[in-house]
Amino acid sequence: MRRDRYSFLLLAVLAIVAPLVLRPVIAAEILIFAIVAVANNIILGYTGLLSFGQATFFGVGAYISGLMIVHWDAPLWLILPTAVAANVLLAGVIGYLCVQRIGLYFIMLTFAFNQMFYFIAYSWTTLTGGEDGLPGVQRPEWLRDDLAFYTFVAVLALICLALMKRIVDSPWGRLFQAVRDNPDRAAATGHNVRLIKLTSFVVAGAFTGFAGAVYALLYGIVPVDAIYWLRSGDIVFMTLIGGSGNFFGPVIGAVFFIWLSETVSLFWNRWPMILGIVFALVVLFLRGGIVEVLARIAGVMRRRRDAG
Amino acid sequence: MTFLIVSQIINGVVTGMLYALMGVGLTLILGVLNIPNFAHGVLYAFGAYFMLAVTQLIGGFWLGVLIAPFGVVALGMLIEYFGVRQLYAAHHDYQLLFLFAVALILQEAIILIWGPVGTSILPPEHLAGAVNLGVTIYPKYRLAVMVITAAIVIALWLFLTRTNVGAIVRAGIENRGMVEVLGIDVQKVFLLTFGIGAWLAGIAGSLATPIMGLTPSMGFDILPITFVVVVIAGLGSVVGAILAGILIGLAQSLTTIWFPEAAQVVIYLLMGLTIILRPQGLFGKR
Repeated sequence: MRRDRYSFLLLAVLAIVAPLVLRPVIAAEILIFAIVAVANNIILGYTGLLSFGQATFFGVGAYISGLMIVHWDAPLWLILPTAVAANVLLAGVIGYLCVQRIGLYFIMLTFAFNQMFYFIAYSWTTLTGGEDGLPGVQRPEWLRDDLAFYTFVAVLALICLALMKRIVDSPWGRLFQAVRDNPDRAAATGHNVRLIKLTSFVVAGAFTGFAGAVYALLYGIVPVDAIYWLRSGDIVFMTLIGGSGNFFGPVIGAVFFIWLSETVSLFWNRWPMILGIVFALVVLFLRGGIVEVLARIAGVMRRRRDAG
Repeated sequence: MTFLIVSQIINGVVTGMLYALMGVGLTLILGVLNIPNFAHGVLYAFGAYFMLAVTQLIGGFWLGVLIAPFGVVALGMLIEYFGVRQLYAAHHDYQLLFLFAVALILQEAIILIWGPVGTSILPPEHLAGAVNLGVTIYPKYRLAVMVITAAIVIALWLFLTRTNVGAIVRAGIENRGMVEVLGIDVQKVFLLTFGIGAWLAGIAGSLATPIMGLTPSMGFDILPITFVVVVIAGLGSVVGAILAGILIGLAQSLTTIWFPEAAQVVIYLLMGLTIILRPQGLFGKR
């Protein structure tokens, strides 16, 4: 528990330093995806389910936020809870259908439902702007400044991470891991395995939708890519490359992902290829992610210190 | 109206047969190797682009249909041999993610090699134009595709049910562990199955070129549809995948008549309905 407190402290310090070294919008984007990746890790790392459809919730959150601003000029205190509530419902329905099947089918179902919502967003052009995206999502007056917006995002991200940490450490959250490690035993001890999986899915969906709602404000547009299944792949990528075995691992993954996409896309517009290559290498040789590398380095240094 | 409905029904069967070829390949790989092949869509796209390469470099439509799928087989086998195989000891999620990464790389490769703009291939001259079916006139080429895909499906069925190798593949779907115990080199079966799946994706891609054209994203577009086919069909059911493919094709083309915007969405609704009413799929046992 104490270690977690240090980790949060470190994270808070990094969040304060970040806008000094990065453009505030990039730092904000990193933190938004940190929420998404940590949320995804509740399903992947804690519950042991691979969802290939997290962009559904990210996108729906973004569209809700975008539409409420464009059409009604709604205030944030109304938008963000609406986005969360809608995604709880949506994740409840999709999750209910997906947990009917286990393993590979679960993955394929989350993926297919993602595509369904993408097509709705893509073809319903009068509502979403279709392929061109939904422009004109203006931030409220007090968040116009990028640094102000970043501060807002940083506070929200830290709160979200703390909440998620609280959830996975709660007795119910412990059941996620029980289901991951041995679903039969969890069932035999009287737990409803499907319900546990479903709650894990809904928790992740809610936070992902929340992050999506904030994302719409970032660049003032909701691109249709926000809900495309490749975005779901990106989310899995961030989670794994950071390290799914650690609560904070996906945060590192989000930093790495946004950094990689921002740097490489500057000089090569076929950057998804680099992404694919890095991802393939990680899957082949480094399944613990960056966290594992750090742990190995720390191990070597400790041994050297002990020897010296 | 009858004119429209009849031609849309035939359209549905034609695209449905292409979905069926994709679905059968995915089912075989899923059944034997226990991985949903995320690179299946991009193999389909390579079928189409290899076809383009052959028709441009050598010329001859049917030569393309003959050669291109084997290019895809080579590609598929390389992926299995150098990637998927290295990951059998790891959790199957990692094989899936590896294939996803491969799909990303290959899709970008298509853009690098052939450019981001789509193109198309004309059907061969002797199949250009339409034929009068009485109720409707219909493009000859599409009818030919229907016949060819049907022949492929029958040939595959004969292979799976009448040959020893086919029996091993089927046994691999039923019980992989038992196949290993019987002393069969399961690695070879995996490679072969991946090859067959790749060939089916390749031939679907090359036959689809005059109907659907070529775009770099064509693989990513068809992949989720293929997954829907397999989910509706049920695990390991080859016959189910064929019927589900046709069902999906029909649902799509008939929706186009009344509510074109929903044509892409309706197949996912069908999938949702299947999961509620029959979670194991229409033809699945488990």
